[in-house]
Amino acid sequence: MTQLIERLSDGLTNGFVYALIALALVVVFKASSTVNFAQAEMALFTTYVAWWMTTRGISIWLALLAACVVGFIIGAAIERTLVRPAEKRGEMPTLLILVALFTAINAIDGLIWGLEYHSMDGLFPAGLDDYVSVASARIYYEDIGVWAAAIIALAVCFMVINKTRLGLLMRAAADNPASAALSGINVGKVYTFGWGSAAVIGSIAGILIAPISPHQLSMATMFPVLIYGSAAAIIGGLNSLGGAVVGGLTLGLAESLITGYVGFIGPQLHQTTALAVMVIVLLVRPTGIFGSRRLERV
Amino acid sequence: MTRESTLPKPASLPAKRSLMRPAVIGIVAVALLVAGGQLPDFRVSQIASMLIFAIAISGLNLVAGYGGMLSLGHSALFGVGGYTTAILISEMRLTPLSTMPIAIALGVLVGALMGLPATRVKGIYLALVTLAFAVAFPEFLKRFEELTGGAGGLVVRSVDLAPPAWSGFDRFERSQWMYWLSAVVLVLCLFLVRNLIRSRRGLSITALRDNEIAATVCGVSAARDRISLFAISGGITAAGGSLYAMYIGALSPELSFTVFTSIQLITGLIIGGVATLLGPLAGGVAIVIIPAVTLDLANGQAYGLVFGVVLIVVVFLLPDGIVGRLQKMRVFTGRSQSAAHTST
Repeated sequence: MTQLIERLSDGLTNGFVYALIALALVVVFKASSTVNFAQAEMALFTTYVAWWMTTRGISIWLALLAACVVGFIIGAAIERTLVRPAEKRGEMPTLLILVALFTAINAIDGLIWGLEYHSMDGLFPAGLDDYVSVASARIYYEDIGVWAAAIIALAVCFMVINKTRLGLLMRAAADNPASAALSGINVGKVYTFGWGSAAVIGSIAGILIAPISPHQLSMATMFPVLIYGSAAAIIGGLNSLGGAVVGGLTLGLAESLITGYVGFIGPQLHQTTALAVMVIVLLVRPTGIFGSRRLERV
Repeated sequence: MTRESTLPKPASLPAKRSLMRPAVIGIVAVALLVAGGQLPDFRVSQIASMLIFAIAISGLNLVAGYGGMLSLGHSALFGVGGYTTAILISEMRLTPLSTMPIAIALGVLVGALMGLPATRVKGIYLALVTLAFAVAFPEFLKRFEELTGGAGGLVVRSVDLAPPAWSGFDRFERSQWMYWLSAVVLVLCLFLVRNLIRSRRGLSITALRDNEIAATVCGVSAARDRISLFAISGGITAAGGSLYAMYIGALSPELSFTVFTSIQLITGLIIGGVATLLGPLAGGVAIVIIPAVTLDLANGQAYGLVFGVVLIVVVFLLPDGIVGRLQKMRVFTGRSQSAAHTST
């Protein structure tokens, strides 16, 4: 029982981070109909920025803010300068650009900050005694903090998208770009903003996961998160914001329970399992569980 | 109306077949190879690795170029070939060459498996499915450690990799042997690709890429063609992997068979020219040269960045790739290529 609660708590923590990355992927997909392979690497870059600031004695909260700003700028710039021109050339060139960014950004991180693992302080107290006991299981403040931060970030996203004028513009531009443009919306700007916001969500995810990742802060930190995040987004439905959250949490919990209780998969086949679920969902229901089908004109 | 009459004959068939062109190409190729073999040993060895990557890329070219489906999973197919050869040599004591058919057969099998989802999903979704294979492969290697050596990798003793006696090379001339072996395999693969693409099946494959609905209406079976395309592609890339294992002698999941290898192969294909016969050769040269040249930059760490930047630049500035560009400029003789072969 104790172990189960601790595993659930771990799973929930990872699940929230996956949900954030999945959400970022969905926001990008709604703007550009593509999966941003570079999403997690962009987040890794801004996480490095935040870590670098904390080593200069700047408070982690301020560093978080700075990382979000840098993330927004990078995301928006990539959309405007690389992705949009590539989109005109078709789906394959767009994918190639994103794959190229995936490698390039990761390499840039290594060039600037080196290959070694950095330990990064989290946003929340992470001492050995910082826990609450639930049925004799320890739930660390660190985990509770990640949950709270993720819930707040998700809530803000949903509020912005569903309740504000900006969100209305985003939804309009995603649903029907032509009509949106005709009613006076600058669709291009909305997409750029979408990419920027996705990168902000990613930055938050990066800063939440880096202190607790088994890879600490290193070049390998975010690749698994990308795998789980994209699996979560596919499972939930690539154009469903709610689906991304459900997908992320489900994968996080499933990962920790399966690793704990299914011997064959053990510690090695983590990502394979998540991806196998993703492939099955794709084959059975290509639009994901909550996604809607996009009609294609013949 | 029968199905036979609904499809036009491939437009690229020349009106009259002359033996001059193939003869000239053959003589030039052999002359180049002989000249290449005279270079210093490390150069010969480097060229051999270019040829090996060219084989792997020409497998990828079938799926990504002629088929129009971006695969991020070819590192797994490359790895299936490599590990099959390495395991069979060190565990079953087979000679290197005799492991190749088995490596290719397994590549065909895994390729077909990867192609199964291609009948249901396409575009980014298919890219993600193939990415799943690329990510799963190293994890499987670590899971089945007793067979694959796990994260530590697998080393084949160089005694076991000696050229066969009939080749006339002794065990100290392994780079010469690998050079000639890779060249022969590459030529066979390119010949296979060329004939496949010029066949009826090839026409339906490019038709599926260019307009799936129209092609299906004309009676092309998308499922059959895509699965067989992936299977053949898997076989070719696995042949490259098998040669790579013989060439390098030591395999490790993190160094050679991660998604980054897929990205390298893709970059090579794009540089060389998507859906061109010789593009993979140019691509193989490029992806061996890029790391070699950037080795001095920033302790060799720059090369991921260089790959990324080169890929972006090529996508925007040279979308047809080197060979595609040359073909458009009609550099290779006056005969124009058929639209089905050069369009992307």
